[in-house]
Amino acid sequence: MSKKKDFRKKYAAVGLAVILVMFLIAVFANFIAPYDPEEINLAPGARLQAPSLKHLLGTDDLGRDVFSRMVYGARISLSVGFVAVGLSLIIGVTVGAIAGYFGGWVDILLMRIVEIIMCFPRIFLILMLIAFLGPNILIVMAVIGLTGWTGLARLVRAEFLSLKERDYVHAARALGAGDRRIIFRHILPNALSPVYVSAVLGVGGAILIESSLSFLGLGVQIPTPSWGNILTTGMHYIESAWWLMLFPGLAILITVLSYNLVGETLRDVLDPRLKGFNQK
Amino acid sequence: MKLKESKFFSSSSYTFKPSYIIEGMIMKTLFAITVSFLLFIFGFSFSFADDYGDAYVSGSLSDATILIPFLADDSASGGICGLVYNGLTKVDKDLKVVGDLAKSWEVSDDKLRIIFKLRENVIWQDGVEFTAEDVKFTFETILNPDNAVPYIASFQDIENIRVIDKHTIEFVYKKPYAPALLKLGMGIIPKHLFKGINIRDSKYARAPVGTGPYILDVWKTDQHMILNSYKDYFDGEPYISKYVERIIPDQAVQFLELITGGIDYMSLSPYQYKYRTETIKFNQRFNKYKYLAHQYTYIGYNLKDPMFSDKRVRQALSYAIDKEAIIEGVLMGLGEECSGPFIKNTYAYNDDVKKYPYDPDKARELLAEAGWEDTDADGILDKNGQPFSFKLITNQGNKQREDVATITQRNWQDIGIKVEVQTIAFVTFLKEFVDKRNFQALILGWTMPIDPDCYNVWHSETIKEGGLNFIGYNNPEVDKLIEAARGTYDISERAKCYQKIHALIAEEQPYTFLYFPYALPAVNKRFKGIVPAPAGISYDFINWHVPKAEQRYVF
Repeated sequence: MSKKKDFRKKYAAVGLAVILVMFLIAVFANFIAPYDPEEINLAPGARLQAPSLKHLLGTDDLGRDVFSRMVYGARISLSVGFVAVGLSLIIGVTVGAIAGYFGGWVDILLMRIVEIIMCFPRIFLILMLIAFLGPNILIVMAVIGLTGWTGLARLVRAEFLSLKERDYVHAARALGAGDRRIIFRHILPNALSPVYVSAVLGVGGAILIESSLSFLGLGVQIPTPSWGNILTTGMHYIESAWWLMLFPGLAILITVLSYNLVGETLRDVLDPRLKGFNQK
Repeated sequence: MKLKESKFFSSSSYTFKPSYIIEGMIMKTLFAITVSFLLFIFGFSFSFADDYGDAYVSGSLSDATILIPFLADDSASGGICGLVYNGLTKVDKDLKVVGDLAKSWEVSDDKLRIIFKLRENVIWQDGVEFTAEDVKFTFETILNPDNAVPYIASFQDIENIRVIDKHTIEFVYKKPYAPALLKLGMGIIPKHLFKGINIRDSKYARAPVGTGPYILDVWKTDQHMILNSYKDYFDGEPYISKYVERIIPDQAVQFLELITGGIDYMSLSPYQYKYRTETIKFNQRFNKYKYLAHQYTYIGYNLKDPMFSDKRVRQALSYAIDKEAIIEGVLMGLGEECSGPFIKNTYAYNDDVKKYPYDPDKARELLAEAGWEDTDADGILDKNGQPFSFKLITNQGNKQREDVATITQRNWQDIGIKVEVQTIAFVTFLKEFVDKRNFQALILGWTMPIDPDCYNVWHSETIKEGGLNFIGYNNPEVDKLIEAARGTYDISERAKCYQKIHALIAEEQPYTFLYFPYALPAVNKRFKGIVPAPAGISYDFINWHVPKAEQRYVF
């Protein structure tokens, strides 16, 4: 194993650590946040305070504690990431498995649908759906999930196409196993490694999309904090209150980067076909 | 023509290098001759003879859409129309009606006939003479329902328009209409260009020809607009040669442009006014102004929703809101409390109406009276098993309204009302929610016309779809008072009606009136002649000027 590979693994370990920390922060937000994230304080001098021991990351234009808002924002970002990707996984794996396993006109129909959806740039599709349905945290999760499954479906289908010709599948069929049993018990467990990779990368992507939407005011609605809408507030005070833009920006960067590092390394480990390619 | 920034202070003698003394002397002599020649030509006739020239670059948040005065219903279009067109009348610095294209007028004793004498020296920007036919044509176009003019309600009492001679015109009304003189200040369009064409789709919607002080030269959509001064303007050529409007859709960016000299004017946000412009350096370069804008921000309740049909509930909602905190928090204190739909400090505004100071206990009391109590101890009031919970909507991208929503949501939560805030893109907000009356409560603002006539917003006749009474306010007494007030020219009579209307609306709280914001413009100091008045600062833009030595742009 080359040195480069070791470095990658170290990065991945750091990434994994960051993800774990973020996860804990999100779960224990109530205990970590020193203030109520929606508590407004309009007293003189309470607004737009620079970071200090009392307010670790300063306060925003309505005197709310930015650290507390960031902590609760982590909860929003991560739950959007996980729920959206979970939804994508369920749809993507099901569609991919059905298309790959049955083949024929089922495959043709499903793959054409996938291609039609893929024709639309994802972010515009999301903006359009939200414009119709109205911005709301649940709708945002659903929309990100519903537009993100097409790549997964293709991956799973490709795996199924090759796996369904394997001897053990033929053996299972000869023993009288039904389609459902073959798909879920025999083929799927062997087809999952690209799915893991794609899912981990997908979480990072979903967090990024949620932040963009909230930044544009189309995601999480005020006064619920999210990294994206803290950034929006910061934009109005960019020349004077640097902490309002820096910290949410860094949080988004570090989190998404961590998911990407873990995802990439996972791909190297799980996909033997790519090994030679990466060592060059 | 392109704008070019001059590198030097305009007097050319500053540019000489000391070593070329002889050449410098020659140049200096030439310069002196030129100056005296110019003085000879202009020096005697105008007080600011040297002050013609330079450009005024204004920063605007949004672009104009259509440059036909009576079709322009957004403030950006209205502003440009004001430079290109004139009306029969206008308001002066004290908001009094004075003549513009009209020299004088007479109103008959029964208030049904108004005869205008028009100015005789007015030439359209394309060289054709302006006459009474243009006036008749303009108002007949407005009254033609095919043109779907949004302001038609202000003119529908006109029975007949008669041209007496080239410079005299008579308007006959069906019944006395008090705001008539002000409303007839609508910009006049040239008959010789518009006759027989579709006004809305004509090329003049983007290339207007008016009688006003500036002529539109370049319009690059969403980038900038350049207007040149009109040399033959009837009130004298404006001093500033070019009026440039740059579209910069963000106040933070506008502020950076202002500081770096990219624009000469912007409207400051309260935060910028209070915390970013207090430096000596800023005040050496810019003048900033502060005056009450003719606008108010309010929360409107859909009165068709049974939740809001009880007066006590609306009063409670108003008591529960800390207006002072909102003015402090959202406007940094740069606003004044509002109690009704009229311009403050005018005859229509009634200072003596029911007020709703912040009083959560009183709010709880009133809600209990109306039957809203927390019977299941979940922290939210309920009545007949239904929790008091509703959706508050506002338009997206308006930071002030979003902050108002955040604070009121918190205030209402404190007395046990659950509110979900939703921000919606402006066009969708108007089309899908306001126009279709598909909302429970909303935050919006009104810009008030100078005449207090409030038929459009408060008369029950405008509840119907397309009307502005979208909350469905229906009070026969208010209807009668509105009609009585617009039917008389007697100011004291009108004052009585409007003050009564103000009191009735304040009592019933169909809106929670929040605040009048201050207008906070900042202008580069090289512009002289700006006199702040009740009408603001830009009412006599044609008299603004820049001393020759301080002029920044040469052409």
